[in-house]
Amino acid sequence: MMSLPFVLFACAIGAAWMRQRGVSLGFWLVGLVTMLILFRVHVSEVLSIQL
Amino acid sequence: MSTELSRLLNALGLIAISAVLTMAFIDQVWFGELPCPLCILQRAGLIAAGCGIALNIVFGPKPSQYGLAIIGAIASAAISMRQILQHIVPGTGFYGPPVWGLHLYTWAFLFAVAIVLGSGLMLLGDRQFSQVQPISGRLKGLPFIALLLFLVLTLANVFSTLALCGTGLCPEEPVDYELFELND
Repeated sequence: MMSLPFVLFACAIGAAWMRQRGVSLGFWLVGLVTMLILFRVHVSEVLSIQL
Repeated sequence: MSTELSRLLNALGLIAISAVLTMAFIDQVWFGELPCPLCILQRAGLIAAGCGIALNIVFGPKPSQYGLAIIGAIASAAISMRQILQHIVPGTGFYGPPVWGLHLYTWAFLFAVAIVLGSGLMLLGDRQFSQVQPISGRLKGLPFIALLLFLVLTLANVFSTLALCGTGLCPEEPVDYELFELND
């Protein structure tokens, strides 16, 4: 699951290479959302920054 | 700034991102420092930023594509900042050894800020956007090498992350590759 953003970004680059700008932007957006969801999953613990 | 100069500078920017991703790989493979989940997501953020730059190379510079680079870099910076804050209080530990006095997540934050600044500076050159872009020509030279290197490193991250974490989420402090036992 953690490799999913990389897969989607690789698809975005591939689509750009094939001159499919709209498809590339779509993959990029889904990749970014996936990345942010995974970030949310991994930051469930509370920060302890009180001195 | 002419379109060609802009494309060249974008290619150099993409090579800089590729260099950072390569250094992360060297740290992982050569020195055996397995990346934590947030470290992996920082790499993904840098690649998200690089996608905007890659689009500038392929389709010619567009403000919207610099926007993608800035959004990706801010996402990467946010993830780095989260990790920096996790260890900011003295005595709360750290992840991985420092490189030139700073931990890799601090370097990742600084690099993401540099991408935002670089994109902002590039956006100042209005002339690059006013020229008609030939998008049918094949890429060659430095832009081609930059794009190919970036694609290869993105694919390498797919396999590396798959090997490290398998098909699920990554452990908070990985000690070995989940799919293969390469790091004995």
